[in-house]
Amino acid sequence: MVNYIIRRLLMVPLLLFGVTVLIFLMLQFLSPVERSALYVRDIPKNERVLEGVIRKYGLDKPMYVQYWNWLVGIKDQSTGKIEGGILRGDFGYSRTASQPVVDMIKHRFPATIELALLAVVPVLFGGVFLGVLGAVNHNKFIDHFVRIFAIVGWSFPDFVFGLLLLMIFYATLGWFPPGRVSDWANQVIQSGQFHSYTHMITLDALLNLRFDIFWDALRHLILPVITLAYLWWALTLRVTRSSMLETLRQDYITTARSKGLAEKVVIMRHALPNGLMPVVTLAGGTIVGLLSGVVIVETVYNYPGVGSAAANAAVSLDVITVLAFVLLNGFILVMMNLLVDILYAYIDPRVRLD
Amino acid sequence: MEDSKVVSTSEHLLEVKDLTTRFDIEGGQVYAVNGVSYTLDEGEALGVVGESGCGKSVHALSIMRLIPIPPGRIEKGEVSFKGRDLLKLSDDEMRQIRGKDISMIFQDPMTSWNPVLTIGFQIMEALQLHMGMDKVAAHARAIELLELVGVPEPSLRVDDYPHQFSGGMRQRAMIALALACNPSVLIADEPTTALDVTIQAQIVDLVKRLQQKLGMAVIWITHDLGVVAGLADRVNVMYAGRIVETGPITEIYKNPRHPYTVGLLGSLPSIGERTGERLFSIPGEPPDLIGLPKGCAFAPRCNYRTERCWNETPELEEVSPGHYAACWEKDKVRKMQ
Ligand SMILES: Nc1ncnc2c1ncn2[C@@H]1O[C@H](COP(=O)(O)OP(=O)(O)O)[C@@H](O)[C@H]1O
Ligand SMILES: [Mg+2]
Repeated sequence: MVNYIIRRLLMVPLLLFGVTVLIFLMLQFLSPVERSALYVRDIPKNERVLEGVIRKYGLDKPMYVQYWNWLVGIKDQSTGKIEGGILRGDFGYSRTASQPVVDMIKHRFPATIELALLAVVPVLFGGVFLGVLGAVNHNKFIDHFVRIFAIVGWSFPDFVFGLLLLMIFYATLGWFPPGRVSDWANQVIQSGQFHSYTHMITLDALLNLRFDIFWDALRHLILPVITLAYLWWALTLRVTRSSMLETLRQDYITTARSKGLAEKVVIMRHALPNGLMPVVTLAGGTIVGLLSGVVIVETVYNYPGVGSAAANAAVSLDVITVLAFVLLNGFILVMMNLLVDILYAYIDPRVRLD
Repeated sequence: MEDSKVVSTSEHLLEVKDLTTRFDIEGGQVYAVNGVSYTLDEGEALGVVGESGCGKSVHALSIMRLIPIPPGRIEKGEVSFKGRDLLKLSDDEMRQIRGKDISMIFQDPMTSWNPVLTIGFQIMEALQLHMGMDKVAAHARAIELLELVGVPEPSLRVDDYPHQFSGGMRQRAMIALALACNPSVLIADEPTTALDVTIQAQIVDLVKRLQQKLGMAVIWITHDLGVVAGLADRVNVMYAGRIVETGPITEIYKNPRHPYTVGLLGSLPSIGERTGERLFSIPGEPPDLIGLPKGCAFAPRCNYRTERCWNETPELEEVSPGHYAACWEKDKVRKMQ
């Protein structure tokens, strides 16, 4: 097990190298002038100054030099200060957010995490639970019911679904507002009395014992969470159901029953660990998928997370910001793969011991 | 006794009466087991033989009440075990019989073990459930059982996972699991079919030895009459869900009275040329259970058939003491020379 994890961990730098190379290559589609945003705030208009900038940051150097500089940054000869360098956490300047990319991400990421975490819970637990329930009651009423829900979720595009919910529950019924919190709540949050421990408002509100703010934030989150979660929930449900059906047909399930074990034990102890293996793989993809899904959902609901910032940047061709978002996604993807591999080894001795 | 589940005062350990199991599938109903009746005495070894698809497994799973419902359904019949009709027991009562009084080993030792649990754990499960053992006692007993079935270094191997065992060892361990709670009936459903020939013989020997030692009754299911030769006292020959011939093993060998049995015997190569995967050389296909003829199911493939065979289904009739055959022409049927 330890060996296996070490081998997986060694893969991580390799994968991250691949991700950075890929993104760096995309950066090469920009002109050297545009790439200077990796290091300077305002791209100078004056051609002579511009040339100075390009030379100073080596934007005319061979690609491998530029790649290295992009990773570790460049030392300013006169001041001795290092500028740029994604390994230092400097992703350049976001034109659309009017601040360094990393500040934008720091500022907006908690809102996105809050949204994604709230979506993960119903996706994983709701999807798995209903999937198992459907499989165990194969072809009975509950199974058909669950399947119809899944098919609907599977066939609706995010944004159509989001706009539909917005039309019904916001425009027509006025139940759930867009945005992140109401103005009054925002004022409280900005005031000195409210401690922002995590910058996830629902959690902070609970920690501050401000249940009114908790409820307000939750009301803003409900529609985006549903929109974001529905597709992945439906997919998780489908995969769980079909994998459990397949597992329940296996010979070892008959063996378990022939021992006289109760059906509950057969399902929980013998079927679930095997049936959930594909779901574990999917769960890694789900987390990454949710973080991509936020681009559309945050835009539809005018929710101030990294997703809407990325969408904004994309519309204004602010490539530096977009690629930072891609890099972030890539990083999370690699980490999720690692987590899935480790979980797999934990569940399946054939992986762990080989 | 007032217990309504007591159906007879039969002195047989197990008595199957008119067992009929049907599957409702697309295109119609399939009677996988169609009115099977027989008895099994304590310590007896019974062979159940027939080509693949003739209902051997479904008959065993019906006794265990492990048929998937739907599409399956035990339509009628009685399985009386120690005087109680298993088909009338509640699910809970039935669970107390499974693995305790009647246990089963399956064809494919590769797929019959749960890959994510250790061999030992899977044996201990039965011991803890039926024998009231705690973990420590069950673990110790699992090691003894593995030793009993000839797994080398059982105290080390007990905590191995199934994929760390070879096919033959897995089947030995499966026998250990089946015998864990001292069952009075062991149903072995083609336990050697998936194994190499040399290992097949070892498993047959092992079961024979254990049967002598422990005294349980065995129902040995196989498609290979050759396998049951040295093992069974009596044989049921099954075709298309029915028993078409039954009798003492020597009688069946020397004096078969159903053309299908004759075919099965004829397809046996003589000792020395036995191979693992021989096919039957009975002409024609095993029957499609959906489109069975009105009369005898074997008629389409039979050399002895007459007009009557197409229209009337023959019942089992005694041809010599304890030897029955279901064939209109049974008096003419003789073993091929
Ligand atoms: N789960 C099932 N669903 C539908 N039909 C089945 C099922 N299991 C068995 N059958 C039917 O029962 C027949 C007998 O099967 P089986 O008892 O497994 O044969 P065998 O004698 O090879 O063990 C098969 O030919 C098939 O038509
Ligand atoms: Mg079978």
